[in-house]
Amino acid sequence: MRLAAYYWERTKRQRPAMAGLAFIIFLIILAVSGPFFTVSPTQVNFDEKNIPPPGFTLEQSIYNASSGGFVTTVQRGTWEHPLGTDGMGRDMLAMLISGARVSLLVGLLATGIAIIIGALIGITSAYFGGAMDSVLMRATDIFMTFPFLLLLILIVYLFGSSLTLIIMAIGLTGWTGTARLVRSETLSLRTREFIMASKALGASHLRIIFYHLLPNTLSSIIVLATLSIPGAILAEAALSFIGLGDPQVASWGNILNAGQGSLQTAWWVAVEPGMMLFFTVLAFNFMGEGMREAFEPGGD
Amino acid sequence: MTPLVEIKDLKKYHPLRQGYIFSKRRGEVRAVDGVSFSISEGETLGLVGESGCGKSTLGRTILRLEEPDSGSIVFRSEDITHIKAKDMKWWRKEAQMVFQDPKNSLDPRMTVGNSIEEALIIHDMGDQKKRERRVKELMIKVGLEPDLMARYPHELSGGQQQRIGIARALAVNPKLIVADEPVSALDVSVQAQILNLLADLKKELGLSYLFIAHNLWVIRYISDRVAIMYLGKIVELADKKELFRSPLHPYTEALLSALPGKKDRIILKGEVPSPVDPPSGCRFHPRCPRRFDRCEREEPELKDICKGHFVMCHLY
Repeated sequence: MRLAAYYWERTKRQRPAMAGLAFIIFLIILAVSGPFFTVSPTQVNFDEKNIPPPGFTLEQSIYNASSGGFVTTVQRGTWEHPLGTDGMGRDMLAMLISGARVSLLVGLLATGIAIIIGALIGITSAYFGGAMDSVLMRATDIFMTFPFLLLLILIVYLFGSSLTLIIMAIGLTGWTGTARLVRSETLSLRTREFIMASKALGASHLRIIFYHLLPNTLSSIIVLATLSIPGAILAEAALSFIGLGDPQVASWGNILNAGQGSLQTAWWVAVEPGMMLFFTVLAFNFMGEGMREAFEPGGD
Repeated sequence: MTPLVEIKDLKKYHPLRQGYIFSKRRGEVRAVDGVSFSISEGETLGLVGESGCGKSTLGRTILRLEEPDSGSIVFRSEDITHIKAKDMKWWRKEAQMVFQDPKNSLDPRMTVGNSIEEALIIHDMGDQKKRERRVKELMIKVGLEPDLMARYPHELSGGQQQRIGIARALAVNPKLIVADEPVSALDVSVQAQILNLLADLKKELGLSYLFIAHNLWVIRYISDRVAIMYLGKIVELADKKELFRSPLHPYTEALLSALPGKKDRIILKGEVPSPVDPPSGCRFHPRCPRRFDRCEREEPELKDICKGHFVMCHLY
């Protein structure tokens, strides 16, 4: 535990990492508390469609049947919808918060699945070596070369689209990098004398793996996990963007997809989820980089 | 004295492979190539040799950290050469190891107390309270403050780390300790402390050591008998005093002539040959200043010249 405190002290000195962490915490608070103060993200209201955020205006030409001509109306933003509404009059703030929930869920769960599989395969491969190593690493290579997006599309096509399925699919395909990293770390640890000392004491394979190898690779695993979360978030957004996301939930990818058609008029519908994605990915990357720096051995 | 461990014609070859699934054997490194000796109860056998001569592999093979290819290891009439991993627990309690690099031999993510305690957990030695008491006892025994048990290895000095390594080895009450260059990574002043500690512990606990080193001073200080190893074979084995007074093997002569204060220093020609393809006949013949025809053709045997002075050389 004192080691954890030590690394926290070192991470604290990394400013971008702290900014990233602050943003992530802010996002988590929003995602969790959102439903209590926003309207339903799926509530459609055609009287209030395409309202811009406050301070912006939208000029629209509307055909007026009584005068038989086009009338230009100016739509002004209101504080009732601080981030505007989309083409179906849904509140953007509520949708973005719902999207944050989806993205965090996908990012954390999918990465969690991928990291667990990858770490187990990597450690097993390196620790037992020989034929086990060959088989597992060739399997990893094959998995790595497989076009991941195509696989996701195939899964969604075959089993239909649900958030659970997407999380599973991203997790089950995303472990290869972790497996390789953990394998290489374990290979160098395996020959260290403290592993041999444990063997000489009669420690079982499981004890060596879970009490010595895993704790010693944990810092790399945590860094890699943090750096892979954006990948998972972007994968879900990409799937949703091409229309293969879960249609039941408002995710940033879905909103982007809906907003791209009206980019010239109601630009905020696409720009806002885009910005959220951008900053979230950036926050996780900053945090991962900062931790990598802090966990670097030998530094100060 | 009755032998505690008896090693007969022990061989350990490391295969040189290429690829894994369709692997080809490209020869082998003959790290340990037919070694026989015994260690008596309460005795320290010093094992000297240049780096790469197979002395560390020998130590690890005796502990069954590496699988022997042939030969036998007998501990108190119990053959442990081929016992399976699941039947090895008792042997792990009898024989322990102290490593060369104290920093590397401790898990950096574990407090040093936990590192010692691990031995007790593996062998089900007492509940948590008893284990903690035992860890404190062991730390006092190796000359450390018990308060240090909550520290991590990087917070300790090299000497303290090595003391922890020794305490961990002692935790299971072993009879035999293989010490693989236990002081060569330490400062000279600390070396003496650790050597004294090992000598005291031996007396107090009735331990036997296989003490591996390349430093002749260290060997001279700690050993009862000394074995000289060259290219996977023991070329000379004798009582310490006997060996330092009258070395027989030309290789031993050369080694001892390198000690300060000796005149007539013998400089060996050439490099140690590769253990993948050792020389024919006597392994030392390409570098031997006293070789003759027979050395090239015929491999000498390890012969008892007089009262336990063994030498592997055609001169005798």
